[in-house]
Amino acid sequence: MAKSIKTLQIRHVDAGSCNGCEQELTALTSRDYDMQRYGLDIVASPRHADALLVTGPVTDTMALPLEKVWGAIAAPKVRIAFGDCAIGCGVFQQSYTSHGGLIDSDLEIPGCPPEPGPALAALRDWMGSHSRGKSAYLELGPVEIN
Amino acid sequence: MASSWQKQNQELKDARYELLAMTADRRGNLTTSWLDPAGGNHVFSNLKVSDGRFPSLAAALPEIAWDEREIHDLFGWIPMGHPDLRPLIRTPRWRQDFFPMMSPGQAATWLDVEPDLPARKVEGEGVTIMKVGPTHAGIIESGHFVFSLIGENILHLDAHLFQNHRGAEALLEEKPLQQVAPLVTRVCAADTVSNQANWALAVEQLAGFKQSPQLVHQRIILLEAERVLSHLNDLAQIPAGVGFQVAHQRALAMKELWQSSLKTLFGHRFLFDTVRPGWASSAPSDALLADLSELRSLWIPWRQLVSGHHGFIDRMQGVGATSLNQVMRLGAQGVAARAAGKEFDARQLLPWYSELFRGPLIQSSGDVQGRFRVRLDELEASLQMIEQAALELSRTNLQEQRFIPPVTLSGRVVTFTESPHGMNVHDVALEDGRVVRYHMRSATYRNWPLLAQAVAGNTVADFPLINKSFELCYSCTDR
Repeated sequence: MAKSIKTLQIRHVDAGSCNGCEQELTALTSRDYDMQRYGLDIVASPRHADALLVTGPVTDTMALPLEKVWGAIAAPKVRIAFGDCAIGCGVFQQSYTSHGGLIDSDLEIPGCPPEPGPALAALRDWMGSHSRGKSAYLELGPVEIN
Repeated sequence: MASSWQKQNQELKDARYELLAMTADRRGNLTTSWLDPAGGNHVFSNLKVSDGRFPSLAAALPEIAWDEREIHDLFGWIPMGHPDLRPLIRTPRWRQDFFPMMSPGQAATWLDVEPDLPARKVEGEGVTIMKVGPTHAGIIESGHFVFSLIGENILHLDAHLFQNHRGAEALLEEKPLQQVAPLVTRVCAADTVSNQANWALAVEQLAGFKQSPQLVHQRIILLEAERVLSHLNDLAQIPAGVGFQVAHQRALAMKELWQSSLKTLFGHRFLFDTVRPGWASSAPSDALLADLSELRSLWIPWRQLVSGHHGFIDRMQGVGATSLNQVMRLGAQGVAARAAGKEFDARQLLPWYSELFRGPLIQSSGDVQGRFRVRLDELEASLQMIEQAALELSRTNLQEQRFIPPVTLSGRVVTFTESPHGMNVHDVALEDGRVVRYHMRSATYRNWPLLAQAVAGNTVADFPLINKSFELCYSCTDR
């Protein structure tokens, strides 16, 4: 059976972003990109979510709230690092409050910030090549802060 | 008895000077810099920290209260007599002896406790506390809000920000000149051109570099293009705050059109890395003018839609009102200040803007509608300025100005521009071509305390609307 996921409901957490990633995520929900038509949406609660999408280098003040949001999402669940800071290659990587981005991401979407077109393509490609119930989807454990 | 430091700063405020910044450094030097709103001259007041303490200005000058709390958190100097010395940036996870600006480059270790700080709440019969954040239901930046409510009415808002504090100022220290711009660019996506321009102006001023009229026009185009982008974003969010989806989506579509243009014309959808010392990204005037006219063809009917919608106007009038008195007292900046009648726009004090800038656009109501209308007018004025600057550029032959800053560049300078959110200030000190201190004071830093005052007395359901009408950046406040 071909691997694919039909929908992905996403909870977004800003962990120290410059607001560029947020604006581009908002663009994904606008009519020009309209990601809902592909089964993708930003949801209001981690209880509604299949995926955690993180922006920013993970500042210390956001590290525990981030862990709590991850814990509140039911497994199987997915972690997405959106943008260079969250991937761990942004300009704030070395700052004293930075935990260096999101570790163990299932999907990394690069860019500073990622442009909505390529970001949507990356999300759809990933959905097209993965399926639920595989080991990668099982409980991944709490966010480990390095 | 008031010290001369307090007296001097109080006199400047009384004379209607605008506070640019209050900057501390590791050696215990404190500087307040003020701007003469009549002529644009800078006035500095200096004080040396003595025995780890300095007399607080906050009781007399509430706009400086956050600056002093920040200095207390990051340097450990104690502002004596400060009326509210709770941590601003510091959290319970910071070690007591950790002062990041005193020892840059030091690796931080964190205590294993929650980051939340005690909130200031109203107590009494029937008062309920509603906590929101730091993570939110939508796509917005992180911030933690503690509301004291009676029924649906907001009695008090205690905003706990700085979740996005990345320590940018510490990170900039010791950086050689060529490594500064990429970082300054990325502190805030909404005010990036303004931040880039402040850095470029600082280096150019210290090096004695004179900008050609062409470079000035290219920069004005970028600064105004950023204002158009940011105002489109904010104008899209305000209708969303009342469920006016048609206006929201059509404004987002205009924003997308403009961002695509910026990508094509200048190489980046937010104009990252478009201004450097001695340089600015430029685009062919005819292409820029064509994109402007396409944007206008969507803008004009959109403005008619939102201006003629009585339900929408009703929802904005009288909501989140601020008085001119509050604005002046807290030193508020930008759209939020002009919406309450403050006739100040930093562009009026920048000589290189004098050819194109026609003066501040103000309203008097100080409510959501006032802030919405200021943005409508400013966006149209920005489109006009871009058009004029592009026409000027099309009449001249482009010549690249060569500028290589001296490798031993030293000195200190305070620069400012009017970002989409208001007067944005950089206080830059260089020694032998390296940064020794870099302090950034965004307009939104001054406006958050005003927002907290503006929501009191409103229903809690209107908080998102009021918040969106201010549309304050978190990242350039938090840094």
